[in-house]
Amino acid sequence: MTQPDNIILVSPWIACAIIGLIITWPLYLLCKKRWYPTSSNDRDTTPPDWSTAPGSAEEKRPSFFHTWDPRFKIATLFAFCFVVVSLDALDTCLAALLISILAVFFSHTPWIRVQKRLVALSGFLTMFLVIMPFTSPAVEQETILLFPLLPTLPFHMYGLLTAVLICLKACSVALLMEPMFGTSSLTISLQALQQIGVPSPIIQMLLLTHRFIYLFQQEAHRMHRSMKLRGFSPKTNMATMCITGNFLGMLFIRSYERTQHVYEAMLSRGYNGIFPIYTQHRISAKDIAITGAWLITGLALLLFDAPAQALWL
Amino acid sequence: MTSQPYANNPPLTNVPMTEPLTSDPPPIFHCRQLCFTYPDTTTALHNIDLAIGQRDRIALVGHNGSGKSTLIRHFNGILPVQKGELLYHGTPLTGDHLAAIRLKVGVLFQDPDNHLFCNSLYEDVAFGPLNQGKNREEVDHLVRTNLAKVGLEQYLFKPAHLLSYGQKKRAAFATVMAMEPEMLILDEPTANLDPRQEHIFKQLLTAFTGTLIIIDHDLLFLYEICTRAVVLTEGRIHHDFSMDELVSHPQNLHDHGLDFMFRFTCCGTHKDTPYHHHHHHTHDHNSQNSHLPAPSLPNPPLLELQHYTFAYPDNSPGISDINLCITKGETLALVGENGAGKSTLAHCLMGLHQGKGYLLFQDSPLLKSAHRILRQHIGMVFQHSSDQLFCPSCWQEVAFGPQQMKLSGLEIKQRVHEALAAMQLEGYDDRVPLHMSGGERKRLAIAAVLAMQPAILILDEPTPNLDPQSELLLMELLKQLPTTTILITHDLFFIRNLTRRTVVMHQGRIVRDYATTDFLTDDHLQAVNGLDYTYKNGCIQTIQELQDKNLTVAQ
Repeated sequence: MTQPDNIILVSPWIACAIIGLIITWPLYLLCKKRWYPTSSNDRDTTPPDWSTAPGSAEEKRPSFFHTWDPRFKIATLFAFCFVVVSLDALDTCLAALLISILAVFFSHTPWIRVQKRLVALSGFLTMFLVIMPFTSPAVEQETILLFPLLPTLPFHMYGLLTAVLICLKACSVALLMEPMFGTSSLTISLQALQQIGVPSPIIQMLLLTHRFIYLFQQEAHRMHRSMKLRGFSPKTNMATMCITGNFLGMLFIRSYERTQHVYEAMLSRGYNGIFPIYTQHRISAKDIAITGAWLITGLALLLFDAPAQALWL
Repeated sequence: MTSQPYANNPPLTNVPMTEPLTSDPPPIFHCRQLCFTYPDTTTALHNIDLAIGQRDRIALVGHNGSGKSTLIRHFNGILPVQKGELLYHGTPLTGDHLAAIRLKVGVLFQDPDNHLFCNSLYEDVAFGPLNQGKNREEVDHLVRTNLAKVGLEQYLFKPAHLLSYGQKKRAAFATVMAMEPEMLILDEPTANLDPRQEHIFKQLLTAFTGTLIIIDHDLLFLYEICTRAVVLTEGRIHHDFSMDELVSHPQNLHDHGLDFMFRFTCCGTHKDTPYHHHHHHTHDHNSQNSHLPAPSLPNPPLLELQHYTFAYPDNSPGISDINLCITKGETLALVGENGAGKSTLAHCLMGLHQGKGYLLFQDSPLLKSAHRILRQHIGMVFQHSSDQLFCPSCWQEVAFGPQQMKLSGLEIKQRVHEALAAMQLEGYDDRVPLHMSGGERKRLAIAAVLAMQPAILILDEPTPNLDPQSELLLMELLKQLPTTTILITHDLFFIRNLTRRTVVMHQGRIVRDYATTDFLTDDHLQAVNGLDYTYKNGCIQTIQELQDKNLTVAQ
């Protein structure tokens, strides 16, 4: 049986402090939100400038990500994401995270958007951090912490390290999504994907889905609102099931009719099965240089990570 | 074709014209014995014979369901020719020829959301020209020019779902115009638009030099743009003559359910309505700190907003510092440009939007948690009545509200019967709402609200897409309702005939609150919110002169 190298008994005070922190931190955030709600005066009320394409070089603060050929950008950053995912050492993972943060910084992405993306991931990652140290198998030369009153549930430092690595890699990849897709409009990004080999029907479906998901959402909202105004409040009974069935059925019929009408409108404007390409890109030396720099960075990360990778072999 | 050739036409007959009125130049489209039957065996077109000449400006009119939309769908090859013949410059619409025609014939459908399927206005407008094979510089120029023409140049890259309805309508028009079509077909282009936006359409269509076909129920709008009128009835062409001849024969208009002359007459009953002002309260406060009602008020207000402000979370304009008092039995019109905050105000009155300020119901301030009570006393009919209809039969639709109120079976039955009868929908119990006409659906939506016996009825744009006959019927039915009514509309005729008080909104604020008679004679309104509700008066006078002249000749 594998024996751990070091077993540390955690002092009750430290254990209490950790438990206290785990309980009070979310409570603090909750209370802060309730007592000090974001005032509408603090909100940025200036309407966005729609006269320039979002994520285009004409934007107020363009970065090299904005001007980088989207085909190269998506292919390179996608490959870089695979490199990040394959890393195994803490220092290379930290370096990858730092690179991602720098990429977000240089792409001029609003930090609030980044924060939202990371918050969306946080629940999932927290589960890793909580569960993995307690469930990880024992390995040689690892340190185990034993908390008071929990002698049968050892805290494996190796499990914690694995969870931290997963979190670092997940955050790095999530952050890279912003410069990859946030610095070009959706259409340009999707058409770049089409040009690098993603099948055209998938791209067209994604394009139309993105537009009409909002429309169907609005239609569903309006129908639900009118139901509410006529006194409907959902319950766990047969009547609610019937009404919900009618609602979904009507939504389906309307969606079907809508798709037919949209198709007719597309046909009447010359649609022949292929969406026109809106932007033509020319490969420049700058595109190749940026792509080369990213690839070298990726290779360097792999090189520094090699000793850690060797441990798996 | 111009209006001149029509002026010398022989007297009217009910025989459809089979040839264009001028022989030169040759027609663009030629239909011979065109028939169409839908898969459910409904025959939509019977033996249509029609020639459409170059530069014709045709108003295609008729009842809802008379086959107008089916006919125009043939001109773009969306519906196939089942029987008969349809020629474009002498060649049938098939194969490559059909694909080429689609790039020359622009069609604007009723619902602008169908036209805006890309992720920004730029892409939507560029879609057609790019399919025409134009180069990028040319396309860019066309996109920018056409969006500027409809006043949307600052929204080039805005996604369609963030646009208002009026903006969507104009953007959809730009998508068609950017293709520089030889022929333009428009289906209800001005429905739900305020007079200013309607005026933009009118100017652009007047400047358009190609062939034009417009389907619309607003004959005043059509009269100013079109020179030729084609009347469809039950899938057949009943008349094909000049626009002047159509409007100058009231009997013909009446026979085809197009009689819009009722719009010209004033009821003349609202002369002595007192002046209203929207501050109906004193500056004294009650226990909950809202203002006390003014002692001069004859009746306590049923519903009141005091210093009410609402802003949307996405910074879209809402309403600001609204003071509005509605008393029992009042009939009130809410008017203003698209985006002025009329619907937002209605939603605030219903408690759907909760803003800052006081909302008082029957003189008591309502807490945010008590806004639900309002829904039991206020009924609202939405702009798009299909949003309100989700049940498989009319009976179930009308019974839905009373059922939610937990009324007895007998009471529900009685209320459904009364509501359907009030909207002249007796015998419609088992009809499927989805299969009903626009006018019937609108009346069903009102019946569904009336069955709940609300103290206040809010109607949001009840008239668009209705033919004149359905409009008149709806107006007569609404006139008989004893309920306190709030009417949100741009339709001057409905305002004049159904309301005694008018509230004018502009940029989220109330700028006028006065008697409808004062509104109708307000010369300064255009300066306040840029809306000119009387711009069609000139057109009305011309039509009346034509009818008088025609009457004199007949006598």
